[in-house]
Amino acid sequence: MKTTSAAALLFFASVMVCLIGLLVGGGNFQWPWVAGQDAVTATIIGEIRAPRSVGAWAAGSLLGLAGAVAQGIFRNPLADPYLLGSSSGAALAVALCLSAAGWLGADVAGAAFWGGLLAVGLSGAAFAGALLAVLLTVALAGGVAQGTRLLLGGVVVGVVLGALTSFLVFLAPNVLLNMQGFMLGSTALLNWSAVLRMTAIGAVCVLIAMSLAKPLDALQLGERTARSLGVPLGRINMAFIVLLAIVTGTAVAHTGLIAFVGLAAPHVVRAWLPCQHRALLLLSSLTGGLLLLTADVIARWIFAPVELPVGLLTALIGGGYLLWRMRRVGL
Amino acid sequence: MQGHLQWLVGLAMSLVLGASQAATISLRGDDGVLLTLDKPATRVVTLLPSLAEVVCDLGACQRLVGVDRYTNWPPQTAAVPVVGGGLDPQLEAIFRVKPDLIVMAPSSRVIARLRDLGLPVLALEPKRMGDLKRTYSVIGQALGIATADQQFQALQNGLKGVRAAVVKEWLGKRVYFEVSDELYAAAPDSFVGETLTALGFENAIENGFGPFPKVNPEWVLRAQPDALIVAEGTQKGLASRPGWSGMRAVRAGRVCAMSQTEADALVRPGPRLIAGARWLVNCINEMPPPAGSE
Amino acid sequence: MTTPATPKPLLVIKDLSVSLEGARRSTKVAPVPVLRSVNLAVEPGTWTAIVGPNGAGKTTLLRACANLLGRRDNISGTIALMGVPLGSWAAKDLAVMMAWLGTADAFSDGDLSALTAWDVVALGRLPHQRWWPALAPLTPADEGVIQAVMMQTHTWQLRAKPLMQMSSGERQRVHIARALAVKAKMVLMDEPLLNLDPPHQAEWIQLVRSMAASGQAVVSVLHELNAALYADKVVVLVGGRITCSGAVSDEKTRAAITDAFSNRIEIRQLDGHWVALPRL
Repeated sequence: MKTTSAAALLFFASVMVCLIGLLVGGGNFQWPWVAGQDAVTATIIGEIRAPRSVGAWAAGSLLGLAGAVAQGIFRNPLADPYLLGSSSGAALAVALCLSAAGWLGADVAGAAFWGGLLAVGLSGAAFAGALLAVLLTVALAGGVAQGTRLLLGGVVVGVVLGALTSFLVFLAPNVLLNMQGFMLGSTALLNWSAVLRMTAIGAVCVLIAMSLAKPLDALQLGERTARSLGVPLGRINMAFIVLLAIVTGTAVAHTGLIAFVGLAAPHVVRAWLPCQHRALLLLSSLTGGLLLLTADVIARWIFAPVELPVGLLTALIGGGYLLWRMRRVGL
Repeated sequence: MQGHLQWLVGLAMSLVLGASQAATISLRGDDGVLLTLDKPATRVVTLLPSLAEVVCDLGACQRLVGVDRYTNWPPQTAAVPVVGGGLDPQLEAIFRVKPDLIVMAPSSRVIARLRDLGLPVLALEPKRMGDLKRTYSVIGQALGIATADQQFQALQNGLKGVRAAVVKEWLGKRVYFEVSDELYAAAPDSFVGETLTALGFENAIENGFGPFPKVNPEWVLRAQPDALIVAEGTQKGLASRPGWSGMRAVRAGRVCAMSQTEADALVRPGPRLIAGARWLVNCINEMPPPAGSE
Repeated sequence: MTTPATPKPLLVIKDLSVSLEGARRSTKVAPVPVLRSVNLAVEPGTWTAIVGPNGAGKTTLLRACANLLGRRDNISGTIALMGVPLGSWAAKDLAVMMAWLGTADAFSDGDLSALTAWDVVALGRLPHQRWWPALAPLTPADEGVIQAVMMQTHTWQLRAKPLMQMSSGERQRVHIARALAVKAKMVLMDEPLLNLDPPHQAEWIQLVRSMAASGQAVVSVLHELNAALYADKVVVLVGGRITCSGAVSDEKTRAAITDAFSNRIEIRQLDGHWVALPRL
């Protein structure tokens, strides 16, 4: 199957699932033409379900792209978007933000300032934290040239920042629930401006990544061979790492930590349609979007009105598909 | 004469109209944000158990149209639809019940989203006695219940009454209150700590480490509290904690074991504090007071 | 004595000493040098074979020629390509001048990419492609080169097969094709005959000879002495030093080779070709 047909198919499937998503939730399965009659239903569909569904797709596509990039530059099938410490950085930043607001906003007047800042601040803090953690990893690894050092640096940064977060929570235990609530992946609070941000950043980053796809292919032949072919390894790595940080940071800032989408999406694409990176990056992004969107819709439908955590479903769907695929191929 | 009369009627009417205009309610929540209601709320959603308890204590239980999943008292709340948790409320469900007031803890992201959708949100989270007083006042204003402050005062008076029932020998004795079996104790500046102080007991834990510090069991041993108040499930395991079998209170069996209800009543800042306090005092009164302790 | 017919050397190495970053055990002990004072000249139109016992530094020498040592490795001495020091060459220009085939290129089992043989060989044209617009697609000329090179290595029939599904010999030939596709002035190959069976080894020798005849310079590190003995020049590397470099027809060179392998081999002539036999 050609890339364009695959992309079109994924997009079409996403639109279908999105439409189902508009009908589902809160225990009521409603046909859209009902919306016109009732203001409450119209708001629910237009202001809650629609941005949530499209937002889930946008976040998933960011994660899918990030996963493909991570697996490409590190040539490692277990690489996921968070491996350079971005998740721990985001968590620490959120915890810092919450505890600072707690200490400084103890009196009601101070709380007003922090209350307003918090609404934007938590997402902004998560984004900044993710980026700074990646920066720290790169600094620790002494540059972007060596993949192994970067991976190791990412592990170290993840562990250290995680410990700092635990310490912060120990000092201010009231922060714990809120922080966990933020970091536990959730698509429930996405609004239209979040959707706009994620889609814009996603589109730009996919295009940039695709334009750098050939050097990524050359990298699969080995670092030395890539260098001998004139690939500016340092600059390519830097470009992809910056891209990874921005894309992951954006996703985490809006939906918290959703695992498995970034890891599974490229594998699903590869299992179905082996291709080079130019196609892989685009298709991983679209697959990630479809995956998270489907998980979100099922999460609110299957035991309605109770909502399952969306991360649970991404693991079940993504993992289940891969297991089935592995058995078919006879691995 | 006609003119004067007309003028008087006009003045009277504008006064009456003005009075009804002035009936808009301004509420300031714990996050400092000002919420204005045109009239007292009649469809209330609470996303924190203590807030539901306060609303019901003010006699407005029937105005509740949505509660969170952890609300378990009073029994009338069982009939109210559940709309999710405090940190993960279900937006659709809340929207569907058409509330004219949502009261919840100041968890910023969720509040921002709810306000984004045009819903009136009041952020309140009572953690101490002072917070509870303010909560009663603000909710009373929001519901148009003038007796809210008196209701809170009644709680204070009730507490004084319970203190009067404490056996003389037990006044001033040291107690250790454990909130969870992972050794999280209640310090004096927590709600239950304030209750214990109000009842005339001394707290084995000092202030300065937060309201619910995780304590070193060795420290508690050294503090040698006269009575231990722990959850039911941990009572059996007390003697097996290293060194605690030597603790006077454990040896003499001066342990009060709380069921989940009693724990909720004492720890949760709300109207049940009287019932909880009464249970506690009864339990302590039944135990022989420590002889000649320092 | 150079005669006017001898062309100017393409690559000149003077007094090269290399100690690798990973070889340092502690900061107090001096790092162990892998290459010591190596002097080498590579002329265009020649095939140079580097031979020596294990651990002699052959791969390091080849990597030094290709400017592929690590950033932290200690390098002293000069390497100049066409008179310009290697370090001063722009990466893209160097990529067009030199093609590299390393041993680590063999794909491992965990390989993810779905690159087909054609894709891999096409990557050999990367040095000739412009960067913007986002790597212009392959020109018909490029495709012609790819096809020609794949036919030379008998990999054309494998062109649609993913590398993962190939035997190691097929993969090796694809990699060789990729190195050839660069059409570089100098081709450096580290252990190119790994996994190749005798017929393909023979083909490789013929291929390299024709490349040298057409003016390319080939430098190869070879374990297979019998293949190395077909080269125009043999460089013997022992313990990081070049003990001898010259044609096989030269007695001194042959003595150096047997010496390098602790006299466990004999070099004999057979039907006009030199062969190395193990001395039992």
